[in-house]
Amino acid sequence: MSGKTILVVDDSASIRQVIGMTLKGAGYDVIEACDGKDALSKLNGDKLNLIITDVNMPNMDGITFIKEAKKLPRYKFTPIMVLTTESQDTKKKEGQAAGAKAWVVKPFQPPQLLAAVSKLVLP
Amino acid sequence: MTDFMEQAQETFVNESLDLLQDMESSLNQLVDDPANDELINSVFRAAHTIKGSAGLFGQDAIVAFTHKVENVLDRVRDGEVAITAPLVEVLLECRDHIEVLIEALGEEPDPTLHQQGEALLAALMQQAGGDGAATAVESTTQLAQTDDSVVVSREEGPQVENDNWHISLRFHADVLRNGMDPLAFLRYLATLGEIVNVATLVDQMPNVEEMDPESCYLGMEVSFRSEADKQTIMDVFEFVMEDSSVVVLPPRSKLSEYTDLIETLSESEDERRLGELLVSVGALSTHELEKALSRQQLDQLQHPEQHPRLGEILVEQHAVDSNTVTAALKKQQAQHERKMKESRSIRVDAERLDQLINLVGELVIAGAGTGLKAQQLGDEDLLESVSLISRLVEEIRDRSLRLRMVQIGETFNRFNRVVRDVSKELGKSIKLVIEGADTELDKSVVEKIGDPLTHLVRNSIDHGIESAEERLAKGKPEQGTVTLNAYHDSGNIVIEVSDDGGGIDPDKVLAKARANGLVAPEQHLSRAEVLRLILEAGLSTKEAVSNLSGRGVGMDVVKRNVESLRGQIEVDSELGAGTSIRVRLPLTLSIIDGFLVGVGDASYVIPLDSVEECIEYEQLEKVRDHGGDYISLRGEVLPFLDLRTLFGERKDRDNRENIVVVRSGGAKAGLVVDELLGEYQTVIKPLSQIFSKLSGISGSTILGSGEVAMILEVNSLVSEAEQRTLHLS
Repeated sequence: MSGKTILVVDDSASIRQVIGMTLKGAGYDVIEACDGKDALSKLNGDKLNLIITDVNMPNMDGITFIKEAKKLPRYKFTPIMVLTTESQDTKKKEGQAAGAKAWVVKPFQPPQLLAAVSKLVLP
Repeated sequence: MTDFMEQAQETFVNESLDLLQDMESSLNQLVDDPANDELINSVFRAAHTIKGSAGLFGQDAIVAFTHKVENVLDRVRDGEVAITAPLVEVLLECRDHIEVLIEALGEEPDPTLHQQGEALLAALMQQAGGDGAATAVESTTQLAQTDDSVVVSREEGPQVENDNWHISLRFHADVLRNGMDPLAFLRYLATLGEIVNVATLVDQMPNVEEMDPESCYLGMEVSFRSEADKQTIMDVFEFVMEDSSVVVLPPRSKLSEYTDLIETLSESEDERRLGELLVSVGALSTHELEKALSRQQLDQLQHPEQHPRLGEILVEQHAVDSNTVTAALKKQQAQHERKMKESRSIRVDAERLDQLINLVGELVIAGAGTGLKAQQLGDEDLLESVSLISRLVEEIRDRSLRLRMVQIGETFNRFNRVVRDVSKELGKSIKLVIEGADTELDKSVVEKIGDPLTHLVRNSIDHGIESAEERLAKGKPEQGTVTLNAYHDSGNIVIEVSDDGGGIDPDKVLAKARANGLVAPEQHLSRAEVLRLILEAGLSTKEAVSNLSGRGVGMDVVKRNVESLRGQIEVDSELGAGTSIRVRLPLTLSIIDGFLVGVGDASYVIPLDSVEECIEYEQLEKVRDHGGDYISLRGEVLPFLDLRTLFGERKDRDNRENIVVVRSGGAKAGLVVDELLGEYQTVIKPLSQIFSKLSGISGSTILGSGEVAMILEVNSLVSEAEQRTLHLS
């Protein structure tokens, strides 16, 4: 794989689909996970260039996932982007405290997402 | 809308409908268990996810409505609003409204929908006590981002010569630890224009022994040529803006700005002045100033120590006791164990599964064909490998059928709503008890059983359960109980709808049936037979006809529906104590275990689960009278049908005749056949519409030899045999 790989974590299949298609269209490789727990299981040592995660998810929420991911030496420096909704400013702060310094505000249009992603990783 | 957005929208609709289903069942459970955080969370999450995804597809009506609902749910979650029955009621209605909105996607916007939504929201706010304006954060976008107009002061002082932007970057020490690569920002910047020059400042770099390789010590001065506006350039550094210092100076800025900049940055102390200065010259946005201020506060905090960052970072890293985290995690895991299983599943198009199961059916047939050939050839090795293959095929068949199995619980949960709504309408207090929710059956059966079940449940509520006064007078609890139960029973699934109501009076049923001419006056029926009469058309014992269960046309429709699924209905009732109706269904609709028999030249398949026993024809005492056929089976009168005469098959072989005793509902009958060919895995091929009037045959199958065999419908054959015996008496 020559491309850059991005892990997308969201419990909503439609959101994963939109993000996945958008990123794939721009030349990224995409791995999907449906919640924090699933996402952790996909941190298997392979190089990730970016993690995009939702906050409110079943099984393991995004904040816990970020904290857990940050504990893994392999992914300590992997940039993490949270998907936030405007009404949940506290969640954004929480995400930043946990180690996610980038964010995309939902709802977003595919070009907005791509712009945000390419600030951190160019395809 | 692009293609993939359309596809994704389809996913959105399906996923939302699923979420709404979850929401409904959680809401229903909340009524009994209002303190269950898990349930509240799942309701909240459903609304939250739907809102989030709807926004993605620009479905503003859904977003606006769901947002308000979500706010209330959020307050419920925080314990500000208590769960009450009326609140759940309104939330259920809101849920329905969301469903309506989602189903209306792609249609012309309907203004009445909006009005309905507003009315519901008003009702919701009333239940939730105001809309909690404090939590309903309506703050639109990032306030911090100000107008992107570039104010360039050209009045006084010398201006810089070049036409380039100047960007001054001082990255925060943590920037690498946060996963940000300063280089990535420069590369992205390069997509907006041309980076003319970069100067890297290494002033902050400590001695090697003090240096932390994970910290960033670099600063950069970038000369940048671009047509982009200031906001766009600022946005490049959006994610590091919080803790790094980013200054963007427009082209042809005053020289003094640069002087100031250089002054302040080299000392990295007096940023406040820089901020104020830049605001006053109009080159600085308030956002920049804000950042500058908080940065300064941070500096003041850090001032007492010489190299505070490293220490602070270490503290920060060890700040969280890892034991606490693991314990919390474990607890969460246990709670979600069950939910986990569900989300680990893969969503597969039902049609693809059907295709697979069809193919497996073909495989079973082809396998039988190979088996037959192998037997004819009599080759030992071949026979052995064929038997291995057929074992595997059988396993594949079972597993692929299991793919289509779903738990009936979801279907059952829907009835919470039905029971609540209907009992409210009738002013009765009724409790629904669900048992065997994890019993699995074929999805195609589940889909078709909903309507008949609804009918049965409504019947129980309407006709079965008495009014509260009547119940109290009889010494029963005021609240009636309707029970839904499902369980497996010898290859069938049994769904039971029972109530503790008044029960069915057999005398009344019989009287009514006689009055309607369903039963001849002199005819004698057993108790079970009388009860089964309620399944016949045109029979209703409840004098008052309610708008719910209709005029007695219900039960015969239910019976027809169930029979079309190759199922049977059993009625059991005790006057004064209640009624129980059992629907017995096959586990699957596509492959059954059959019993293959030969009649004349043709073969027929009898569903194995309805076969009771096989007996030799000659051995039995046969009584022929008035053209009716019946035999005495161990002293019991058993009507029989000769399939050869019934289906007009030729008799040109002189086989020893056999009788297969079959059972349907409570009744038995014998079927006279020429040959018993044994058990046979039968892949059901439905008959074309033109054969739908044919009685006695429910489908066809293809045998290993390629011949077609008809599958017998035992229900109608048994009643046919009964009819003949009745005529005789």
